[in-house]
Amino acid sequence: MAEKKAVAEGTQLLDSAVLNRLMHLTLLARSPMEGTVSGLHKSPHRGSSVEFAEYRNYVPGDDIRRLDWRVFARTDRFYMKEYEAETNLRCHFVLDCSGSMRFGGAAGTKLDYARRLAATVAYILVHQGDAVGLVCSGGKTFAEVPPRRNPAHLKLIFETLEKAQPRGPTGLVAALHDLAEKARRRALVIVVSDFFCGLEPLLNCFQHLRFQKHDLALFHLLDRAEMNFQFDRPVRFVDLESSLNIVTEPSSIRDEYLQQLHTFLDQLREGCHEFGADYRQVITDQSYERVVADFLVERAPGTGK
Amino acid sequence: MTFLQPMVLFGLPLILAPVIIHLLNRMRHRPKPWAAMQFLVSATRNSVSHARLRQFLILLCRVLVVATLILFVARPLAGGWLGWAFSPAPGTILILLDRSASMETRAGATTKRQQAIQLLAQAAREYEETSHLVLIDSATRAPQEITRGSSLNQLPLTQPTDTAADIPAMLRTAFDWLIENRAGTAEIWLASDGQRSNWLPEDSRWKDIIARLSGLSQSVRVRLLAMNQPSEANASISIKEMLRRPRGDKSELQFVLDFQRNRNSAASIPVTLTLNGERSESEVAMEGQSLRWRHTIDLGARREGGWGSFSLPADANERDNTAYFIYGADMPLLATVVSGDAAPARCLEFAAAGRNGRPAPLISPGAFAETDLQSQSLLVWQAPFPTGAVADQVQTFAASGGVVIFFPPGQPDAGRFNGIGWGVVEQAGTVEGFQILRWAEDEGPLAKSDERISLPLGQTEFQRRQPLTGHKDILASFEDGTAFLVRQSLGKGEIYFCSSLPDPAWSSLGDGPVLVPMLQRLLQAGARRMQQVSSATCGELSLTEQSLPWVSVDSVGTKDIRTQAGVYRAGNRFLAVNRSPAEDDPDLVEADEARKLFGNLPVQTLQERHIETGQLQGEIWRFFLFAMLLFLIVEGILILPARPTALRAGLPQRKIPQPEEHAA
Repeated sequence: MAEKKAVAEGTQLLDSAVLNRLMHLTLLARSPMEGTVSGLHKSPHRGSSVEFAEYRNYVPGDDIRRLDWRVFARTDRFYMKEYEAETNLRCHFVLDCSGSMRFGGAAGTKLDYARRLAATVAYILVHQGDAVGLVCSGGKTFAEVPPRRNPAHLKLIFETLEKAQPRGPTGLVAALHDLAEKARRRALVIVVSDFFCGLEPLLNCFQHLRFQKHDLALFHLLDRAEMNFQFDRPVRFVDLESSLNIVTEPSSIRDEYLQQLHTFLDQLREGCHEFGADYRQVITDQSYERVVADFLVERAPGTGK
Repeated sequence: MTFLQPMVLFGLPLILAPVIIHLLNRMRHRPKPWAAMQFLVSATRNSVSHARLRQFLILLCRVLVVATLILFVARPLAGGWLGWAFSPAPGTILILLDRSASMETRAGATTKRQQAIQLLAQAAREYEETSHLVLIDSATRAPQEITRGSSLNQLPLTQPTDTAADIPAMLRTAFDWLIENRAGTAEIWLASDGQRSNWLPEDSRWKDIIARLSGLSQSVRVRLLAMNQPSEANASISIKEMLRRPRGDKSELQFVLDFQRNRNSAASIPVTLTLNGERSESEVAMEGQSLRWRHTIDLGARREGGWGSFSLPADANERDNTAYFIYGADMPLLATVVSGDAAPARCLEFAAAGRNGRPAPLISPGAFAETDLQSQSLLVWQAPFPTGAVADQVQTFAASGGVVIFFPPGQPDAGRFNGIGWGVVEQAGTVEGFQILRWAEDEGPLAKSDERISLPLGQTEFQRRQPLTGHKDILASFEDGTAFLVRQSLGKGEIYFCSSLPDPAWSSLGDGPVLVPMLQRLLQAGARRMQQVSSATCGELSLTEQSLPWVSVDSVGTKDIRTQAGVYRAGNRFLAVNRSPAEDDPDLVEADEARKLFGNLPVQTLQERHIETGQLQGEIWRFFLFAMLLFLIVEGILILPARPTALRAGLPQRKIPQPEEHAA
């Protein structure tokens, strides 16, 4: 507990009170993970946990201690009793550090929100024995921290998060493809981004990650101003990722803008559903604690989600 | 359209201000960093056409608002005439007002003249500060500068008159004023009822004056206010002829009166006769629009002269309801016969006998130079035409009101008198001789008698004649067209030429039934010169006559003899002044014809019957104020943000998480 507090006090990204309320929850993978040590998550291999998996015929060389003698007594056949293996997971956080993540209001930018979200979830994962890595993708910046499960690794994660700067065009697609190629073992990939890029390349990334059997969770960060588009006078809109600027009368294009935005959101949601990704739309004025809590609870077994 | 403040129009470039402000505003829009640019670009691309159209309309409204504001401040003037757009107020406005008697015709509650003055005053009021106002009235044609348009209806020069108008002469006066005063741009405002007798469209002066006005270096425009609206029921009366005729010891006045009216229905018109202040009533049955009425007034044994008038009841125009007359004292009628031939001279002496019954004195042509014609009314000349001083003496006698009648000399005469000469004596080839079938029986020496009996001219035999040569007004002619009796006017008198003689060898004129009444009538006509009374047409008095101390006889109040009809007296001289007979002429000049008279000059025509606002020209700033407000409202509607409900009408309802939902 003292260690937790120390870590929480060592960075601005964590809130001790929030952590205290969330630490009783666990983050579970929705698909089997390939870990190196035993843990909370299902493994694709059979192991020695208490969870019964199945029976199989005995073959010479099997450990006779795992024979089910009761079945042998009833059927006069040897059956081996198989149990689920439980292992830890590797979680890769992919943080979008493009210029568009600099957008935000008085409460902070989208990147600020993403930092706190990622830091909190990383803290919970590490403290339930899982390994956490981080990829920060931006236009010209690309920071990568490989997954580790020791608590001291969190410091590196937090430092990397704090140093991440929103700049340049988005490099999310390339980062995700790169991750899909590098992470050979099944892992949990959590992407925190506003996903303001081409929809088709983005969905291709998700497909690629799912093809590699990674569990994919997406936090889609949006600002309320982007959702409402409420302006009462002409505005010069300056693109955060390029030199493009548009002078327009917002009221005259609001309909069309919202139509375009909602179409994009619908298609993104459908794409995520198609590829089995856990998609969450987050408005940045929402409490990140609540978002994380919902995320953890909904992934718990028996929630049906 | 003209403007009272044309300098304000220099501010018209300000209409570009909204466009400039719009462009500046585009450059200074507050920048907003934006992440979801891909949707913004797409939305802008899709909405750009509507947005641009809307923006253009907004800009257009703002430009129009500024434009109407400037026009509003410039105080535009218009009178329903187009084609005068954006012209400044003229330097000079010449107001030409028709004050003729016909302008006193009432149309509604007021007369045409009053309506014209009201319209002109309203229009002129707007130009008081910017233009030089000059009034030229038809009665005096004396330009008078006026300082206030509203004073038009109080000026003596705009009051009613019995005169006729001469529109070409008024335009000439306006032209002369422009030249003498070296005026700049000018407008001529002409208010008239378009009476043809006033406009004289056939007059050659039109071309001359329009050419002069067109040739001016400065701009001259004409605004024509045609007061040609139909009038109410109206009748007019005028005296065509008047004659004092002796009847034994008594005398009578014989009148030929003309009635005109603008209705066709049969009606009995009461006529009031005022004779030396005593009134009596008569009635005239009238059908149709015109009537010639003969009326006789018995003067009894009175020998002195007097005055009177015929009046009609009040109607649409009171100016044409009265005709004034003056008759002179009963004077002896004397004639002189000049002849060198005894046979016809004898007949002529007796036929021209005076009221005392004695034959007219006969003198030879050679002794005529010593003859005193002072007391003579008729000169009967049966000899070769006089020449030299004698001819001048005869002409002077005729010009002073006397009557001269020439009979053939019976011999070749190469001389001419007043353009008329004698031809060769002709002898009839048949027993019937020369026949006269037609002659003037309405008036003149061969007119019917009071009993409407024709003179027996058709039964008179003519065996010999001496035809007349030269231009002539033929009163009677033979069946082959050769003139028998010819009349010429000279001054106040008349000269007659008869082509046959009262000689048995020539004709049966000597029998008397034709010759006696003819010469007696001429004797009476020549008596006019003996009377110190006369009549005149209002507005046509010479300056000499105007300068006399005329006093009105027919009314108690004072009258101006130059402009008012009536009976006037100056010392022993009486004068009956009547309006011009042409004022009774109902024929009007149409607006198109009037416009053509002005040639190339820009003309605006406003027919009074089409005026709805009652204004010749007035400020129309209200229109521009209304337009400006309208544009402001439209602009306000266009810049309204779209309603949220409408925005979402085509979008699916979406639930966006709210912060408070997570506060718990």
